[in-house]
Amino acid sequence: MLATISSATLAGVDGRPVSVEVHVADGLPGFTIVGLPDASCREARDRVRAAVISSDCTWPLRRITVNLAPGAIPKVGAGLDLPIAIGVLMASGQLPAVSDLGAFGELGLDGSVRAVPGALPLADAIPAERVLVPATDAQVVGLVVGSRVRAIRMLTDVVASLAGQLPWPDLPLAPESPPAPPMLDMADVRGQPSARLALEYAAAGGHHLLLVGPPGAGKTMLARRLPGLLPALDPAQAMEVTRVHSAAGLSLPHGLIWQPPFRAPHHSASMAALVGGGSGSARPGEVSAASNGVLFLDELGEFAPSVLDALRQPLEEGVVRVARAGGTTEQPARVLLVAAMNPCPCGVGGDVGCRCPASTRARYARRISGPLLDRIDLMVHVDRPHPSDLLGGSAEPSSAIAERVELVRSLARDRGVRCNAELQGESLAQAAPLEAEARALLEQALLKGQLSGRGLRRIQCVARTIRDLDDAGPSLRPCDVMRAIGLRSRAPIGGADA
Amino acid sequence: MPERRWSETAAAVALAGLAKMGPTRLHNVLTERSPLGAVEWIFAGGVPDRIPPPLAAAWRSALHRFDPAAADAWLSESGTEVTWSAQPDHPVFLTNDVMPAPVLFRRGCLLDEIAPAVAVVGTRRASGTGREIARELGFGLAEAGVTVVSGLALGIDGSAHEGALLAGAAPPLAFVGGGVDVVYPKRHQDLWSRLLEVGTVASEAPPGAQPAPWRFPARNRLIAAAADIVVVVESRAAGGSLLTVDEAIRRDRQVMAVPGSLRNPAAVGTNTLLADGCAPVLAVTDVLTALGLNQVERAKRRDQREVPASPSRSAAQVLSSCDDGPASIDQLTCRSGLSVGEVLAAVSELIAAGALVDDGARVRRA
Repeated sequence: MLATISSATLAGVDGRPVSVEVHVADGLPGFTIVGLPDASCREARDRVRAAVISSDCTWPLRRITVNLAPGAIPKVGAGLDLPIAIGVLMASGQLPAVSDLGAFGELGLDGSVRAVPGALPLADAIPAERVLVPATDAQVVGLVVGSRVRAIRMLTDVVASLAGQLPWPDLPLAPESPPAPPMLDMADVRGQPSARLALEYAAAGGHHLLLVGPPGAGKTMLARRLPGLLPALDPAQAMEVTRVHSAAGLSLPHGLIWQPPFRAPHHSASMAALVGGGSGSARPGEVSAASNGVLFLDELGEFAPSVLDALRQPLEEGVVRVARAGGTTEQPARVLLVAAMNPCPCGVGGDVGCRCPASTRARYARRISGPLLDRIDLMVHVDRPHPSDLLGGSAEPSSAIAERVELVRSLARDRGVRCNAELQGESLAQAAPLEAEARALLEQALLKGQLSGRGLRRIQCVARTIRDLDDAGPSLRPCDVMRAIGLRSRAPIGGADA
Repeated sequence: MPERRWSETAAAVALAGLAKMGPTRLHNVLTERSPLGAVEWIFAGGVPDRIPPPLAAAWRSALHRFDPAAADAWLSESGTEVTWSAQPDHPVFLTNDVMPAPVLFRRGCLLDEIAPAVAVVGTRRASGTGREIARELGFGLAEAGVTVVSGLALGIDGSAHEGALLAGAAPPLAFVGGGVDVVYPKRHQDLWSRLLEVGTVASEAPPGAQPAPWRFPARNRLIAAAADIVVVVESRAAGGSLLTVDEAIRRDRQVMAVPGSLRNPAAVGTNTLLADGCAPVLAVTDVLTALGLNQVERAKRRDQREVPASPSRSAAQVLSSCDDGPASIDQLTCRSGLSVGEVLAAVSELIAAGALVDDGARVRRA
C-alpha cells in the first residue's frame, strides 16, 4: 500500500514542497527513509514509531519505505515527522486513504505535535487542500493559508478526525495573541539635539547612522527608539518580516509582525549569524531578521572586521545571497543600519581623562573599514546629557516625529523609491537638483578630495531628506548640502591620527 | 661645449647632481661663477681646487650626458624653483651661513619670508608621548603664526609638521634629504602632499636624488640655519637631532629641549642637553616667550589670519560660541541658541573655510 502526503522543507526563508511517499509491504520488518534526509530528519524513524504506538495505533510489522521527493533537495529538521506518521497509518490501512492532504510538525514520543521553525513559509509552500499544522503555529499560519489550515495538538486528533469520529479542531482565534507592546518613545530622550535630529533624518530617508560617544551617553537608548519613528509595515512587508522570523525560528507571540523589527546582535556574532548561512540549510541571519526594520550593531569596533565587511554587499543591494553547492538562497536584507561605538577603548575619547595612547585610538578607529564607513551617511557624537537636560521637561514624542517621517517617505514613494537613500543615477538627478551655490560647495569638497563619488551621491540623498523635512522644495539649497556634509563622518573617530 | 642649449637653471640642476658634489665643493665651484659659467668652465677643462683630475673628468662626461632641456621642462612642470647664491631670491641666511648652501631646490614660498621660524626636531624612534608633544608644539607654534621647520622624517619631525598643518595657520617648512620630488619615508606620502598644499619643501639635492646617508647631516644644518630657535622634543643618546643641535650652536641659534622621563630611552639625549644647561620647554608659551612674542602680538597675529569671506550670520554666531573652547555640536547648539540644523550647516561652512577644526567629537577654533 502506498500513501502520499504533501509537506515542505525549509531553504533559507523559503519553503520547498516535499512529497512524502510511504510504502508498506510484506517483507522483513524494517523502516527506511530515503531522499536526502539530514540527521534530525533521519531520527524521525524513532519518534514516529513511538508516537504511533502512544496514539493507540498499531505499528505495522512490515517493510516500511519512506521516500522524500524530490530526491535532489536536502530535507532538514523534524517537520516531516507528522506527514510520515500519517503516511504510515494510511499505508497500513489504519486510516482511510485521503488524497490532497498536507502536513508538517515534529512529533513527541507521546504523540504530541510540536512547532517547527519556518511554519509560515512551510505552510505557504504546501499545495494541498487541507494542511495540518502544529496548533502553536496555527494562528500565524492561518493568516497566510486561511481556511486550509487545521490545527493539530496530538497525533490522535488526526486519527479521530480523518476517521470521521470527531470534527477537525477549531483554529485558535485571533484574540489569543496579546497585542504587541507599545514602542519606546522619543519623549524619554532628554537633550541630545544633534542625535535626535540625526535619528529623524535616518528614519525619514533610510540613511544608515553611526552614534559615537562615551558609555552611558544614551546611544542604545536612542537606537532602540528608532523603530518607533519608522512607518508601520504594509501587508506585504509584514508578511515578509513574519516569514523571515518564522524561518529563523524566532517566536511570533503577537502573530503577524506589523512593527518594524529591531535586531541587536551581540558583537561576538559570527558571519553566519549576521548575514545568514550556517551548516546544513542556509538559515537567515540577523540582517535578514531586521529587514524592513533596524539592525543595531552596538560596540561596532568590537565586531570582527571580516563580519562587518560581509555587511557591505547586503547594505548596498538589500538582499543577502547565500551560495551553497546545492543552490543559492536569497534572503531580504533591507535594513536601516544603526551602529554605536565608543570613541576609544576607554570610552572617553581623546578628552581629558582618556587613558588611551594615540596609537591605541588610531588602531581602534581603523577597526571600522573605510568602505563600511563610506556607506554610513550620518555620524553624530553623543555626549552624556547635561544635568539640566536630564531634569528638564519631556521632549517631542515619537508620534510627532513619525508624522514628518511618513510625509517624507510618501514623497520618496512619489519618486519611485522606498526611501530617499535609495535614489540614484537619473532619478537622483531629477529628484534632487543642486542650486548653483550648492553645486559649487560640493565641487570644492570633491576637488579637495574630502568626498568620494559615492559620498557625493549619499550627501545628495541626505540633503534631499533634509529639504523634504524642511519645506519639500524642489532643489537643494546650500544650507541643505552643508547640513548633510556636517552629518557625514568628517574626522577619524576619537580624533586619532595615524 | 656641446651645442645643446644650457640655461642657468639646468646648469644648477646638473651641478647639484654630480657625484661627490657636496655643499663645500659646490660652493667653491660657484663662488666666482654662475652655474652656467661653471658648466662652461668645466667643459673647457677647468679643474676646481682640491679636486682630483679623474673626478673632474668624470664630472665632465656626466655633464656631457646631461639633458638640460629635460631638466628645465621638469622644473617648470613640477613647479620646482631652483635658486643659487648670487640670486636675489636665494635665502639670505643660506648665503651668509658658515657652511653656505650654494644651490637650493624648493616647492612653495620664498624662504626669506618665513620669519619667525622654530625648528622642532627629534628622534625617528619616538615614544607616543613624544610624538604627541611634538604635535602639540607644532600646533601651538603654527597657531601663533610661527613657521614650524623640520625634516619630514618619521617620529618627532613628522608629528611636528602634522600639528602645524592641523593648526591651519602659518604654513610649515620642511628640509628633506632627497630630491623635493622623492617622498622619503614612503609612509609620509600623505603628510608630504598635504604639506606641499600649503607649506614649503626644500632640499639641496637635485630632483630625483635618493636621500644618501651623507645628505641628512647636511640637511640638519639647513634646519638649524633656517630656524630662530631649535626645539628638541626627544633625542636618543647619540641621535641625529644632536647633530642639528651642534649646527644650531655653531650658528648661535638658541636650543631648547623638552624634558623626558629618566626611563625613556628616547629622552636620554634631551635630558642630557637639559643637564648641560639648555632651556627647558614645559609648554609652547616657553618657546613663544623665547621668540619674544608676547600675548598682545600673538592676539594680533591671530586676528590677521584668514577669516572666512563673509561668513553667514549663523556661522559668525557659531564661531563666537567656539571662543569658550572646544565644543560638541550639542554644546554649540546650546551656547548659540540656534537650531541643530543651522549649527551643522554653519560648522561645515566654517570647517570648509578653515576657521574651525574638527577633531572627531568636538570642533574648535583653528
